[in-house]
Amino acid sequence: MSTSAPRRTASFSETLLSGDDERLVTLLARRPDLATPAPSSLLSLVARASSRTSLERALAGRDALELQVLETVLVLDPVSGPVPVDAVAGALGTDDDPQPAARALSVLEEHALVWTPGGPPGTAFRPAPGLAEILGPYPAGLGPTGGPDDLALPFSLPADAPPGAAAVLDALAWGPPVGVAPRSDPAARRAVSWLVEHGLLHATDDRHVVLPREVGLALRGGRTHRDVRTAPPVPDGPVLGAATVDAESATAGLEVVRLVARLVTTWPEAPPGILRSGGLGVRDLRRAAATLEVDDTTAVAVVELAAAAGLVADDRDDPPSFTATDAAEDWLGDGLGERWAALARGWSRSRRTPWLVGSRDEKGALRSALDPELWRPWVPRLRTAVLDVLADAPGRGLRPDDVVAALRWRTPRAVPPEQAVVGLLREAELLGVTGAGAISTPGRALLAEHDTDPAAGPSAPRESPAGPAEAFASVLPAAVDELLLQGDLTGIVPGRPSAALERLVEVAADVESRGAATTVRFGAASVVRALDHGRTADDLLTELAAHSRTPVPQPLEYLVRDTARRHGRVRVGAASSYVRAEDPALLAGLVEAAALRHLGLVQIAPTVLVAAVPAGELQAALRERGVVSAVEGPDGRVLVADGTRRRRAPDGPGRTVVGRRRRPGQPDGRAAGAGPGTDGAGRPARSAELVARLRAADRADRDPTPATADDDGPAAPGAPRAGLAARTGPPGAPTADGAPGPAASGPEDDVPAPAGTRGTTDPVGALGLLRESIADGTMVWLEVVGTGGFPTRRRVRPLTLDAGRLRAQDPARDAELTVAVHRIASVTPDQP
Amino acid sequence: MTDGPLIVQSDKSLLLEVDHPRGGDARRAIAPFAELERAPEHVHTYRLTPLGLWNARAAGHDAEQVVDTLIEYSRYPVPHALLVDIAETMSRYGRLTLAQHPTHGLVLEATDRAVLAEVLKSKRTAGLVGERVDDLMVVVHPSERGHLKQVLVKLGWPAEDLAGYVDGEKHEISLSPTTPPRVEGGEPKPWEMRPYQAQAVDGFWHGGSGVVVLPCGAGKTIVGAGAMAKSGTTTLILVTNTVSARQWRDELVRRTSLTDDEIGEYSGARKEVKPVTIATYQVLTTKRKGVYTHLELLDARDWGLVVYDEVHLLPAPIFRMTADLQARRRLGLTATLVREDGREDEVFSLIGPKRYDAPWKDIEAQGYIAPADCVEVRLTLPESERMTYAVAEPEDKYRLAATAAGKNRVVERIVAQHPDDQVLVIGQYLDQLEELSNHLDAPLITGATTVRERQRLFEAFRSGEISRLVVSKVANFSIDLPEASVAIQVSGSFGSRQEEAQRLGRVMRPKADGRTAHFYAVVSRDTVDQDFAAHRQRFLAEQGYAYRIVDAEDLGVEA
Repeated sequence: MSTSAPRRTASFSETLLSGDDERLVTLLARRPDLATPAPSSLLSLVARASSRTSLERALAGRDALELQVLETVLVLDPVSGPVPVDAVAGALGTDDDPQPAARALSVLEEHALVWTPGGPPGTAFRPAPGLAEILGPYPAGLGPTGGPDDLALPFSLPADAPPGAAAVLDALAWGPPVGVAPRSDPAARRAVSWLVEHGLLHATDDRHVVLPREVGLALRGGRTHRDVRTAPPVPDGPVLGAATVDAESATAGLEVVRLVARLVTTWPEAPPGILRSGGLGVRDLRRAAATLEVDDTTAVAVVELAAAAGLVADDRDDPPSFTATDAAEDWLGDGLGERWAALARGWSRSRRTPWLVGSRDEKGALRSALDPELWRPWVPRLRTAVLDVLADAPGRGLRPDDVVAALRWRTPRAVPPEQAVVGLLREAELLGVTGAGAISTPGRALLAEHDTDPAAGPSAPRESPAGPAEAFASVLPAAVDELLLQGDLTGIVPGRPSAALERLVEVAADVESRGAATTVRFGAASVVRALDHGRTADDLLTELAAHSRTPVPQPLEYLVRDTARRHGRVRVGAASSYVRAEDPALLAGLVEAAALRHLGLVQIAPTVLVAAVPAGELQAALRERGVVSAVEGPDGRVLVADGTRRRRAPDGPGRTVVGRRRRPGQPDGRAAGAGPGTDGAGRPARSAELVARLRAADRADRDPTPATADDDGPAAPGAPRAGLAARTGPPGAPTADGAPGPAASGPEDDVPAPAGTRGTTDPVGALGLLRESIADGTMVWLEVVGTGGFPTRRRVRPLTLDAGRLRAQDPARDAELTVAVHRIASVTPDQP
Repeated sequence: MTDGPLIVQSDKSLLLEVDHPRGGDARRAIAPFAELERAPEHVHTYRLTPLGLWNARAAGHDAEQVVDTLIEYSRYPVPHALLVDIAETMSRYGRLTLAQHPTHGLVLEATDRAVLAEVLKSKRTAGLVGERVDDLMVVVHPSERGHLKQVLVKLGWPAEDLAGYVDGEKHEISLSPTTPPRVEGGEPKPWEMRPYQAQAVDGFWHGGSGVVVLPCGAGKTIVGAGAMAKSGTTTLILVTNTVSARQWRDELVRRTSLTDDEIGEYSGARKEVKPVTIATYQVLTTKRKGVYTHLELLDARDWGLVVYDEVHLLPAPIFRMTADLQARRRLGLTATLVREDGREDEVFSLIGPKRYDAPWKDIEAQGYIAPADCVEVRLTLPESERMTYAVAEPEDKYRLAATAAGKNRVVERIVAQHPDDQVLVIGQYLDQLEELSNHLDAPLITGATTVRERQRLFEAFRSGEISRLVVSKVANFSIDLPEASVAIQVSGSFGSRQEEAQRLGRVMRPKADGRTAHFYAVVSRDTVDQDFAAHRQRFLAEQGYAYRIVDAEDLGVEA
């Protein structure tokens, strides 16, 4: 066997260590694994260099030629001592041009896979120790040494060789060199034993024979390998013109930019949820695909590209969903070249493996798009390798098979998974890094940038766009600002639309076909969309005419005008309250009144005004002007005063909750639905203040000051506005008011207060609460003084209050009870 | 990058800028292989379809020509994938051929083993083919020639039919140099086929079987007559209805050496089989007890030529019968290859590839069909009718909108504007038509009108004796009203493209004095009627006819 490594280890290390530092630096650069963790001594560095793992790693990166050269050195060294370059070239059959072999040897030497004993580096080579074990017992299909070393070339058997001997040797010549000795066939047996006798075969045991290395080499005519490629295989086929490739690239690039733009503008409108496993659900993916009008696979790619470029991300909400990032805003404002470059850069650094989406993992779970688990550390390396292959075959449309074949030559000991190569090529085509399968100008720029910027990690900050952006902009066809309008309501942009034109057609028309030109169709729906965007019929027609060489066709003009006529015929708007009257003159007077301007009155019909303030406030304001009004319920019937106060309505300006709470009671019979606002920036602080005050107020409430019929007991004076305190808090029990004596209990507003404070012992207030509870069907705590004089508390649903008796239902006991009103000690709304 | 007139989209549509200096050249260059989809004023849209590419192959064009044409006229680089696809698709035609073998009879031959293996492996070819002769040839049952072709198109490997045709029974037919006068005592007028008609006949004859596409009014009957003269054999002509059959007969008598006695009519009314027999689709597809009772007609004589009028209307059973007629020459005549049922591929496989096609506008430009002015009149419904319409059941809405009473006044108004024209009023609903007929004091033709009466009225209309005619949809097909220069459509059947082509055809026969034809459609505003009208308008605009929309009020009609 060739393993004489132990004997030579010392000299390998000596050679290595005696070299200058530069060599070691090169070695460490070539084999970075030797430097991590930092070796304790140079000797241990050398030992590490001949360790199996490190050698495997070094071999994984070698191309087919280098490996063949290495095998040649390994094979020839034990036979003839250190191997010079021309011997290697000769053994490979590349003697007419030894350059490739020489280059390969120098690479191998830099990697310390071969070394030069003694003399100056680069003269004659030996394999590094440890390689023999890794490259197997029969490197290059040649057996162990030990055959006759005086064989002449070309090799021929002596005349006395028995028939069949030549056939046996031929069978073993190109490996594997081990054969099974025949038993039954006497002629073959004779031939084999003759060969063994003459030293042309070695018997390893009674059944097997092996062809010695020297004999093998002689049979091969001194060659070690038959098929030697000094360069990766390049498929035949027509060479595509650069213009074709770049045009395809531009088309693809524009499309992908458009798709991503659409994604980042539609996702924030309806953010898709994030699966528990972190990805995008199948249904959301389909929805995205439908929005983008592409198939699911493309949708996955688009979503992943957007994520890789940092344009969409987890919004960290609860529940989480994907949405556009702030960067997307900026991105949308960028020029086309920059936008493309941002996507391409994101892609070129991505470690993600989107092609696995849709397959199942080891546990059988479906892999989803944007799944955080879908990444592999080797993806960037493989991407660079794939792009290198493409860059080496300019103008040729490479199929995945071709690329895999080339990669197999480049790193035979680490062939990448075909699926990954297919996936990367698909992404490259989608992005326009390639066009028609060949690398494009922007793709080359991207690769160049990548080469000069190897340190850029996935998280590298977005630098100022340079090469790729300009390269992409340079392949774009010139923008066209012309729209050909036709009588069949279509329009055609004969080229890439300018930004303004694109915006116009995207809004005002439906795109029918995209590509070198854009075909759009105008329809009622699309015109409505344009009108919705705030254009008028005239605006739209003017804009269209500005882009068109010919006048707007009559049917199109008719369509726009006809649609505009119908647009807005049915209108929807928001108002807080309204005023109806039979007398248009009265309403007209109200609209004109300067004093009522703050109500935001708008006349929407001769007999209808709408107002921007709640009904209560509106009514109060009208009454101040002497206009007596009745309040209508949602069904249009006139309500009794109670009804309106239950509604929650936005607060007017300038009022605070607290202030309102202190508001004095108003004379009865006046409805005022105005409530406090629940919005406002100062709310937390106000809340705190509010709570503190409430506490104080609470204590004040407990102070049993009897309320008079016309005054709200616990309330403090100072509220500027009219109206009774109204319920405005979170959905809960309404306050009692509207009773003859308003007994609004302010603390219920906004903050849940202890039950005791919310109720009332005031008989009038209690009756009010009960009535309200009856109306709303809510529960109350009722404190009833029994015949024995002891109060009992029951939680009941009041049903009727009539003739001094309360009828109520007690759900806990499933019973109905009737209580005389004078026995009711207190009523407390039950907070749900 | 050149400044060509053509933009090739990757979705296989071709956009042709017609005003471009090279627009005309480009149109002629792409016409053989691209289907014209729409032809509005500035940019025509063509589409590349497998059938279109195969039609081109059948006409002797190869992929390289197609690709070169696209590249030559394209403004931007042509999408690479599209070029690859064209080459791929076109290479599929002709890999299989149907041929007569001296010993095996009808055989399917392949130039490519794998293709033959692929089609034979398909379940659909089972039973259609017999013994495998060798790797590249298989025997075909002669009776399955048509079915096999159908199946092969569906499998994507259309076969070229080189198996030839039976000669058929000889029967001398020649075109007469003059036409007899329409009126007694008039002079016979000399005539000859227009150049495009002659080209169409040649194209058909050269190809063996196939379809000639000519617009309404461009003289398809004459192409049929020309083909018959070329064939000189007994001929079976299949037409859509009896009126059309009579017109074929009249035209043949006028234009050829055939006499009345040599032409038979095979219809519901008469069952004559003569050297030239004109049969209606309807009678052929009549079934009694589940059996087609008139199939024997197809074998009644040894027909040398079968002519299909209005191929786009060919009913499904006729396809089945045609499948059995593959040994006879077949000529399809149509205004459009587009079928509402999408069975274009059956036409391709059973009748044959397109042999001649001329865009309408071109023929119009040559002065053979009248220029048309298309106007849509929008009628605002009165309040009461709008309310009725608004609350009507969906299935009644169209009828309500289409038969709005206000339309009568609009029609009156339009008729009044054309006092000297022959006016045709076309509609769908009989009560509406009756009302109009009364209003305008014009005769009415419906499905219930006898053939005799119809012909009498048509003749009177033709001769100018009556100038107003109200017709139901019986008028849609194949009636010849040469001097109708104004057509008013009051209701239609849900916006069919077919119908629109036919109706427009009604008014587009060349006018004696070169007058402009007028086509009016009266629709009720803001109803489904308008939606359907939009569909029809689109068709018109796509055919290159400018149309205008006017409000009924602008015509002086009070709502």
